[in-house]
Amino acid sequence: MEFVNLILGLLSLLIILFTSPLFAGFINKQKAMLTGRMGPVIWQPYHDLRRLIRKESIYAESASFISRVAPVISFVTVAVAAMMIPIGYTIPLIHFKGDIVLFVYLLGLSRFFQILGAMDIGSSFEGMGAAREATFSVFAEPIYFFTLGSLAFVTGFTSFWDVFHNINLSNPSFIIFIIVCTISAFIMMITECSRMPVDDPNTHLELTMIHEVMILDNAGFDLFLYQYTATIKLMIYGSFLICFLNPFGLSNHALGYVIFAVLTVILSSVIAWVETMTSRFKMKNIPQYLLFAAAIGILNLLIYSFMK
Amino acid sequence: MENVIHILFCLTLLYTVVTTRIKSYVSMLVLQGLLIACVMIFPFLKSLSIHILIIPLLTLLVKTILIPRFISRLIVNLDVPRVVETTLQPFNLLLLLVATVILMFIAAQLLSEYAPVPPIPLAAAFSTIITGIYLIIFRTALIIHVIGFLIIENGIFLLGTTVAAEMPTMVELGALLDIFVVVFLMGIAINRVRSTFSQIDVSALERLKD
Repeated sequence: MEFVNLILGLLSLLIILFTSPLFAGFINKQKAMLTGRMGPVIWQPYHDLRRLIRKESIYAESASFISRVAPVISFVTVAVAAMMIPIGYTIPLIHFKGDIVLFVYLLGLSRFFQILGAMDIGSSFEGMGAAREATFSVFAEPIYFFTLGSLAFVTGFTSFWDVFHNINLSNPSFIIFIIVCTISAFIMMITECSRMPVDDPNTHLELTMIHEVMILDNAGFDLFLYQYTATIKLMIYGSFLICFLNPFGLSNHALGYVIFAVLTVILSSVIAWVETMTSRFKMKNIPQYLLFAAAIGILNLLIYSFMK
Repeated sequence: MENVIHILFCLTLLYTVVTTRIKSYVSMLVLQGLLIACVMIFPFLKSLSIHILIIPLLTLLVKTILIPRFISRLIVNLDVPRVVETTLQPFNLLLLLVATVILMFIAAQLLSEYAPVPPIPLAAAFSTIITGIYLIIFRTALIIHVIGFLIIENGIFLLGTTVAAEMPTMVELGALLDIFVVVFLMGIAINRVRSTFSQIDVSALERLKD
């Protein structure tokens, strides 16, 4: 049984690693179709990544060793975080009491090295992007802790698998939590993955970019690592959101994967729709958007504390 | 299940203090009216007598159709700017509201120890009333003051449905009529203000002289 769990855990890691570009490509395709264009094929992110992986990395003269290690560390930490997300009904590779805290700080470490790598070269644009990324992540972190913290309180567990496993949708009080948590987790996903209302992944004006401006001076394999990290991160947060909605009561692996696939498609449509319908916020309005999500999380915690 | 509706109500409150677009205020009013009607329909589901149904239906009519329509028409007629000016940044107001909501939850919890009222609906009602007051204090456009007044009314309705198990039907009918008439009168008053000062903003009222 242990061995089977190990294999299934590896399988869910591989699903995240290999289908994440597909998820991003699917969102882009739907976005294009919603605005009346044909759009690139959904395999386009794979082609882009393959093109980048064959090129060599080039470093600026002022770059220190930080620029060399930052992309690798950023990628590895996100990949380790991917091992904690349960997909379908499988037990993730890493799960222990309190892994919800480790998860967010692994992603934080990834971001920290990305910021360091951006500031290392000394380009003013990248420093600006790094400052923005750091500022907005300060506001995004409370969202995570209020959202998942309230769920951890309700279920009484502090591990992803246990928390999600104990969500019982037949209990009406859980329905409140799921509705409220889904809203705030969606806003958190938008922010952390620098998607549309917060940051435009397609923009090419340095003054308005957040995430993309940090990787301006990276090329070849390093750029591949950064871009791949971004798609994996999107997939991780997507799976995280899907875990809320997954009826975990059923212990059927095949059905779990089917539900996961269906919910992923629905989620990608929702993201594409939101990105088409909304325009970018002004920079100064983003903190209040994030505080709004954090306020939802606080509300969630309040409900828990006062509901008998 | 009632708790779900009250929580959704709190979410609409958070949104009303963040947004600055006037159309979103009106759509939030519609949503709040809908949620109030949902709360009021619960006694009907328990007893299934027709005369309880009158109040929710009338609430639905007045709060989601008549008043929002009237306000939208007022907005069009007065060409109110699409974005409202604020005296306090929405970010700070949101912080203030979150602090208030936390305080209200604690207060409701303390109150519910002495009286047989459920804490969450009570807290939602209190927060609604205070949000309306905040909107009136921190927004300069007069039309938002009307909307803030309506949000206070919504809070009182919410309080009425939780505290009094059964408010007399006549009282509720009277309240609904009153609200509609007040909104109507406020519309007329805003029209007069506009024709005198050529803008509907509280800053214009500060220059009053005799």
